[in-house]
Amino acid sequence: MGCSQHIDATSVTEAISILQSQGDKAVLVAGGTDLVGMLNNRLISPETLVNIKTIPGMDYIREYSGGLRIGALTRIRDIETSAIIREYFPVLAEAAVSVGSPQIRRMGTLGGNFCQEVRCWYYRRSPATGKTFTCYRKGGNVCYATSGDNRYHSVIGGKKCFAACPSDMAVALASLHAHATLAGASGTRSVPVEDFFIPLGNILKPGEMLTEVSIPALKPGSRQKFLKFRHRKTIDFALCSVASVLEVEAGVVADASLVLGGVAPFPYRAKAAEQVLKGQPLTEDLASEAGAAALRAARPLSLNAYKVTIGRVLVKRAILGVDM
Amino acid sequence: MSGKVTRLVLTVDGQKYEVVARPDATLAAVLREDIGLTGTKVMCEGGECGSCTVLIDGNPVLSCLTLAVECQGRYIETIEGLADPISGELHPLQKEFVERSGMQCGICTPGMLMTAKALLAENPDPSEDDVRQALAGNLCRCGNYKRITECVLAAAKTMRGGER
Repeated sequence: MGCSQHIDATSVTEAISILQSQGDKAVLVAGGTDLVGMLNNRLISPETLVNIKTIPGMDYIREYSGGLRIGALTRIRDIETSAIIREYFPVLAEAAVSVGSPQIRRMGTLGGNFCQEVRCWYYRRSPATGKTFTCYRKGGNVCYATSGDNRYHSVIGGKKCFAACPSDMAVALASLHAHATLAGASGTRSVPVEDFFIPLGNILKPGEMLTEVSIPALKPGSRQKFLKFRHRKTIDFALCSVASVLEVEAGVVADASLVLGGVAPFPYRAKAAEQVLKGQPLTEDLASEAGAAALRAARPLSLNAYKVTIGRVLVKRAILGVDM
Repeated sequence: MSGKVTRLVLTVDGQKYEVVARPDATLAAVLREDIGLTGTKVMCEGGECGSCTVLIDGNPVLSCLTLAVECQGRYIETIEGLADPISGELHPLQKEFVERSGMQCGICTPGMLMTAKALLAENPDPSEDDVRQALAGNLCRCGNYKRITECVLAAAKTMRGGER
C-alpha cells in the first residue's frame, strides 16, 4: 500500500476515467492546500494522486450574457483580484480575500475551496497522535461533537455529522444563485451551489468532478456584502459568515438573497429572513428583524449558541452594508 | 509506509538536484531531508503558519502543502539562495533583519523573508499596510510583527536606491 503514483491528467475525461477505474484509491489534487495537509496528517492514504492542474482550459473567469463562468481551477487570488468580479460581484471578491492566507489564495482553487474537508477536530485528529475518532464521516456511527466539544460546529441542519461547511466561496456564490457544473462519464449536470454540500460531504458521485461555477446575470446596482467572523482575522475559517445580495428600489427591498456560512453543513439560505425583507422599506429595524429571522431555525449544541448571537448581528450589518 | 518512489529533477536557487522521492512527498520534506537545505522551516504542516514559504516561479507558496513531484521544471527559490551566491553578501532584507532585530527566535524568519521578497518584486514601494497584508499568512510566535514590518519597509527603501 502507500501512495504509488502521481498522474498529471491532461483532460477532464482522463481524470474521470482514472477516478472510475480506481474508485476511492485515487484522489484529485488541485491547489493541494487542504489535500496535502491531510496527507501530511495521514488522514487519507490514496494510492494514486491525480494532478488536475495540468488540464488545460479550466482556469478562467469569463463573462456570458451578463453572468460569469469561473473554471474550477481558477485560483482564489485571481477571483480576489479580478476587475470584473470586483466591479459586478463584490460579494464574491470580499469572500475570496477572506480565504486563508495570501499564500493559500495563490495556491488554492475555486474547485478545491468547494471540495475541501471539514475542520471538525474529531474528524481531523491525526492518527499520528495515536488516537482516531471513527465518526459518521469516517464510516462510524457516532458524531463525537454532539456530546463533546462542539463550539465550532453547526447550529442548523446537522444530520449525523455536525461539522460546518468550511467554504467561504460557496457562501458568496450561493448568494449570487450560482450553479456548480459536475462532470462524469455520462456527461455533465448542474446543481445550485447550496445543494452541492450535504452533512456527510458533497453530492459528487464516484467518478465525478467539479469543473465550473456559473453565476447568472444580476440586475445592475445590487447591494452586496460579505462579512466573516473568525478568531484570527488574517487567516481563519468562518465561525459565522454572511453573504447578502439585495435589490433596493426607491428605498424598498425588491429582492433579497441571504446566505450564511459557518453555521450549517452547507451554505445556509436564510429564506425566512429573505421573506422578511422583500417588499419592505429598508430600515435598521427591518435589518434587525431579518437578522433574528435568519437564525430562527437554529438549534445550537451545548457550546455554540454564541454563533446565533453573532449571526443575527452579521446579517443585520450585511443588510445595512456596514463593515464588521 | 511503503510506496513507490520517483526520480525527480528540481531546480532550487539556480542549481539542479536529482532526488528520489515518493509521489506524495512534499517540497518541504524533499528540500530539507533529501537535498539538505534546512533553511526552509516546517512548523504546522497545515497551511496555518507560513514558515515553510518558498518562491515557485516568483510566487510565495507553502512548501509543506506542495507536492515535490509537481515542482519539476519550476524555478524554486529558498532562503539559502537569498544572499548573493558569489560574494555571499546578504540581501537587503536580510541586512535589515540583522540590523533592526527582525528576528527573535528565528523560526518564522525564512518564510517572512521569502514572502517579503515576493512582495517587493511585485510592489517595490509598499505601504505599511501592504506589508502587513502580504505577511498576513506568516505567523511570528514571538510577536515581532512591528519590527518585521519596519525591516521590510527599510529594505524596500534601500532597494529603490533611497537612503538607508
